[in-house]
Amino acid sequence: MKIGRKRKGKAEIPTSSMSDIAFLLIIFFMATTKFDVKEGIKIVLPQASEKQEGETQSLTLTEKEMTRLQIIADGQIVVNKEAPRNIESGELDALIQQKVKVNPDMIFKVITDREAKYSEMVRVVDRLKAAKIEKISLSTN
Amino acid sequence: MAKFGSKKKREAYIPTGSMSDIAFLLLLFFMVSTVFVQEKKFWVERERWPMAESIERIPRNHTSTIYVMRDETILIDDVPTRIESAEDVFVSTTLIRKKADDPDLVVCFRTDRDTKYGVMSDVMRQLQDANTLVVAFETQQRQR
Repeated sequence: MKIGRKRKGKAEIPTSSMSDIAFLLIIFFMATTKFDVKEGIKIVLPQASEKQEGETQSLTLTEKEMTRLQIIADGQIVVNKEAPRNIESGELDALIQQKVKVNPDMIFKVITDREAKYSEMVRVVDRLKAAKIEKISLSTN
Repeated sequence: MAKFGSKKKREAYIPTGSMSDIAFLLLLFFMVSTVFVQEKKFWVERERWPMAESIERIPRNHTSTIYVMRDETILIDDVPTRIESAEDVFVSTTLIRKKADDPDLVVCFRTDRDTKYGVMSDVMRQLQDANTLVVAFETQQRQR
């Protein structure tokens, strides 16, 4: 019987399946990744007015300078001093364009009743934003 | 004299040596950019947000989200609260602290579309008190 020295095998880590594992992990992260960018209507609120007497500055604006869009409880809209009525988005767009034609720097004041739906306010502000109106005032009542 | 012989055809192959490097780079990217959104107990589902056309993208950094449920419960920093009187100033005190940490703070509203405007008005007044004036109403995209 021949007794000889055992041949030593080279020690190595098998890496052939490394890319398979990596790709499996990639698929997992691709499937679960959510780029959480928020989307919405951005607006800047006015500063809180000082309640102390003498510090409040009152400014009177005419209809040529400011349009009041008052949303009442049932969703109808009062434009300035007109009678309340249901105004569809298309009609609202036309009305905004008409007001901007008279005065390109027109300020739109959106006054929403406390009982009105939030979505009604968003709809009106959305139409104003769509018409590229910069001067939007939101009331807090 | 030149020797004309049949050319030896080289074997075509795609080098795959750097495949795992690419894979790991992509893996690192997804690992870094992944955000696992945890469901909250109080939650306004996306389907309940109002619809709008002219929406803009708001980067997540510098934002703080306020949830307003239909039952007028307000959720800020995972703490549910309500505004029933002038003494309920949890929203403004929280926002004063947040504004001090981040002066470019944008407050995002995730509000149920059927919520009454009154509660939104109360929250916005507290935002004004906290001098946090930039707000965003999160909406779903309405197709034109």
